Amino acid sequence: MSKSAKLEWRAREESFINLEPLQRGGVLPAESRKIALSYIDGYSTCDHCLGTLHILKKPPICDFLTEVADFLRMNKAILTHGCREAKFAIMHAITKPGQAIVMDENKHYTSYVAAERAGLKIYEVPSTGYPEFKVQPEEYVNTIEKVKKETGDLPALVLLTHVDWTYGNLVDAEKVGKICKEYNVPFLLNTAYSSGRMPIDGKEMLADFVTCSGHKSWAAGAGVVGILAINDEWTDKVFKPSQRYKVKPVEILGCSARGSSALVLMTSFPYVKERVKHWDEEVEKARWFSSQMESLGDVKQLGDKPHNHDLMRFETPVLDRIAQKHKRRGYFLYEELLKRKIVGVKAGKTKSFDLSTYGLTKEQLIYVIDSFRDIINKLS
Amino acid sequence: MSEKIVEQTFEALFVLEDLREILRKTAPFHNLTEEQKEEVEAILGKVRKALNEIEEEIK
Repeated sequence: MSKSAKLEWRAREESFINLEPLQRGGVLPAESRKIALSYIDGYSTCDHCLGTLHILKKPPICDFLTEVADFLRMNKAILTHGCREAKFAIMHAITKPGQAIVMDENKHYTSYVAAERAGLKIYEVPSTGYPEFKVQPEEYVNTIEKVKKETGDLPALVLLTHVDWTYGNLVDAEKVGKICKEYNVPFLLNTAYSSGRMPIDGKEMLADFVTCSGHKSWAAGAGVVGILAINDEWTDKVFKPSQRYKVKPVEILGCSARGSSALVLMTSFPYVKERVKHWDEEVEKARWFSSQMESLGDVKQLGDKPHNHDLMRFETPVLDRIAQKHKRRGYFLYEELLKRKIVGVKAGKTKSFDLSTYGLTKEQLIYVIDSFRDIINKLS
Repeated sequence: MSEKIVEQTFEALFVLEDLREILRKTAPFHNLTEEQKEEVEAILGKVRKALNEIEEEIK
């Protein structure tokens, strides 16, 4: 316990099995925690400032960004404070207030909020609804046509959430990319839950922009950090410099992540490049976990089946029935899991909840399944 | 003298991060394998060495 701030120190990853889907892809390797320790003070990236962050040689942020662009198969990349800031930067740079944007119904709320902030009229591509909630690429055609009919113009931007935050559904980005090319509208691929976990090929997916979340999927922490990757043709608009301060890109207000988060992202990068090669193993583990959960009885995994991602939502009437009679009501599940040193399922949730299996060992997941079974057997 | 103290302070902190990594991989009960126990011993040895060197420097 810190005496000055009276904050509890955090040992969630050391003392518990953490299933929180928001956090699993952002768990740092040891080398990145070491670099975070040494770069934790203020503007630690700026000891050898060359005028702006993305051109720095020491630490080698410039070279890192070139490697990141190659890794995503895009032309250029720049750091942002997060994926949401990257999305807003694109919207602000290439659209005008009042124009239309098309995005999927499963979008992250920040896609919507960014579009609101940019003054855009939002059109949503519907999902298939319960129980799979799939976003079908061909539905983008209908929504783009709807925009044309209602506004007399094409949308200024099309956005796809590659993997959504609720069901962990993976959408075929290449199909959406092809539709965008046919209509000649720019395509923004939000990879907050995909890049850094699984391979991403921006060229193959025909993406004009790829936005990434360092703290969600690139094993980065010590603050928030994101990546905005673009194709060359958008450089003048999206990376345009200030008229007065010629080295400062306007859309990221000159310099973005100016501290330890940038260094952690860089240090985690070799680890991330290696781990995406093992994505198939993560999918296999998630599918195994889903089948084990459903075998408990009266548990249903929503979203894609078979599932293609570690983030999953389960509908759990069996646990909700217990909650109806339990003196702690909906909080019993959180508390029973906590007793077993498992965290990440939100307190009060029993009808349905989300979790992620990413980066956990099979032994840890067997223990999680055994714990759910034990709770159901004890309290049903 | 001061350079060595700084170096060994970071060495001790960094090596402890390696210990933290083992705790994460074996959470929540930390039932260590023989190999992991050996790793922990090696880590503790390095930390002790770093602390001893700091102690020597400040004498």
